[in-house]
Amino acid sequence: MSAAAPKVDAVRVDDRGIWFRTGDGGDDVVDVCFDGRRVWSFWLQRDSVPGDGGRLAGWPSALVRFLDGSTRLSLVAHVSGATLYDEEVRLGTGEGRIAVVSPEGKPLGLDKSNRLSQTFDSRTPEQVAPLLDSIAQVLDAISDAGVEAFLAYGTLLGAVRQGGLIGHDSDADLGYVSGHTHPVDVMLESFRVQRHLGELGFDTYRYSGIAFRVDVIEGDGFRRGLDVFGGFIAEPVGDRAPVLYLMGEIGAPFEREWIYPLTTATLEGRTFPVPANPEKLLEATYGSGWRVPDPAYHFETPRTTVRRLNGWFRGIRVLRSEWERRLSQHRGKPAPDRGSALAELVVAREGVPAQVVDLGAGRAGDALWFARQGASATALDFVPRAAEAARQAAVSEGHDLTVREVNLLSLRSVLAEGARLAHSAGPRVVLARHVVDATTPAGRAGAWRLCEMALRDGGQLYLEFWAGDGRRLHEGQLLAAVPTAQVVAELEARGAVIVHREEQQVERVPDTPEGSTGRTVARLVAQWQR
Amino acid sequence: MAAVKRNLRQRVARRVAGDLVARIDELEAEVQENRNLNLRVAELVDLVQELLIPVASQDRERIDAALAKFQRSL
Repeated sequence: MSAAAPKVDAVRVDDRGIWFRTGDGGDDVVDVCFDGRRVWSFWLQRDSVPGDGGRLAGWPSALVRFLDGSTRLSLVAHVSGATLYDEEVRLGTGEGRIAVVSPEGKPLGLDKSNRLSQTFDSRTPEQVAPLLDSIAQVLDAISDAGVEAFLAYGTLLGAVRQGGLIGHDSDADLGYVSGHTHPVDVMLESFRVQRHLGELGFDTYRYSGIAFRVDVIEGDGFRRGLDVFGGFIAEPVGDRAPVLYLMGEIGAPFEREWIYPLTTATLEGRTFPVPANPEKLLEATYGSGWRVPDPAYHFETPRTTVRRLNGWFRGIRVLRSEWERRLSQHRGKPAPDRGSALAELVVAREGVPAQVVDLGAGRAGDALWFARQGASATALDFVPRAAEAARQAAVSEGHDLTVREVNLLSLRSVLAEGARLAHSAGPRVVLARHVVDATTPAGRAGAWRLCEMALRDGGQLYLEFWAGDGRRLHEGQLLAAVPTAQVVAELEARGAVIVHREEQQVERVPDTPEGSTGRTVARLVAQWQR
Repeated sequence: MAAVKRNLRQRVARRVAGDLVARIDELEAEVQENRNLNLRVAELVDLVQELLIPVASQDRERIDAALAKFQRSL
């Protein structure tokens, strides 16, 4: 990348993307502006494919749904600011102007990961002030927990490079470097800091063993999430230099003196803590070219760093974002009003149980149905807000339905919930509909552990899942069929006895394309005998 | 004779290289298995640390409250 404008000509814009010719020389990053406002940035070579004697940069999927109408489209070299193309274009069949905005009308753009967000370049100083207040508030709270945090990643980059937020960024990141040198101690510290923030009244959301998000409710009610990335400096091995690992991208030879004692930098006129030598951390984060702006920056984290961070700290939120997205589609919809075939099987075999646990409840349709039949129902899911409509319905109708968050990939979560259920006396039915086929082998191990604890006083586990060879039912489908024999073997290995087993051919799986082949649904009933 | 020797050396080298690649794959998997223990150990220590004292009290209400509080903190 250079300060000279890249050579781009013969630009054509259509529904596929932006087609252009460019030199074979170095790569360069350009901004795509609609009616003068940046909505996307891409690298001419890296983010395009050859075709028709030129190159085509396809529209990012997040942008496609907006591309129906006219706009003044310009391509602007990000570094030099030179305009490479500037024409009125029409996409799709729409008559109006293309508006890349949120449902509330707020201007949106794509960040470096091509995710739609309200980037800083479309916000006024008044709109940015609450973010700065939130940063200060969270830094104070972390400091109160005994850890000195600082601006990190893009927020640090903006403060050091330009004293302000980066236009194409959309949120703020904080980091800290633990005084501990062993991953276990570093995680225990992170758990403690998160717990302390909870006690101070903050909502938090854990990403990994050393990273979590803190939610701050701003003046206008907007819920802002600030990411807090933990790090540590690993003990030097032999005569190698000590290495800093900072979640989620950094692994580089480093000295603790480059971080602490912290100094300060200015961000949008406010003073915030930054590492003692911020340039060293920026170089470890973005490489030696960190001074040159890149709105389409992609981390190229070395494989060894990814493997270390994955191995030490990750694995507790596999598929979670996907399920959060999927279940958010039901937000605002009324609670489901009938029980599933699995719920009917429970009633057919043993009437309405006194206690029902709906594991992997999703929208908690079965839990609500059982609560309406007079059962004491508990809905467990790692996306508990999906059960909000069911919970509200139960409250307004006076039924006994409790919703709790459980993460089958987290040992703490499984053991605590298992202990809680085991602690309340009496037999119960645990219903797990499409949990086996929704989670990973590690998630299933967590489920069996939880069920074993929950059914200590008796009762039965009812399972329903797509049975088969492990292939996803179709693209975009989050469920992957699991061989029934495998599920049976896993349960038996944990001491369960299968007391009922049925498999049923289903003509076509709901929500799959016409012409899809039939699938097999399996239902198992298991119990632990002591 | 020299050609036979060379051929043999090449075949042995190929087999040794293949064995080494397989062993590296295996070692990498084993290293990762070991790394995965860190999160499990941290989760267990945290759970024990937070719940052992309330549980030792044998006070049912205190235990229930500690479990609920612990779950909320995750």
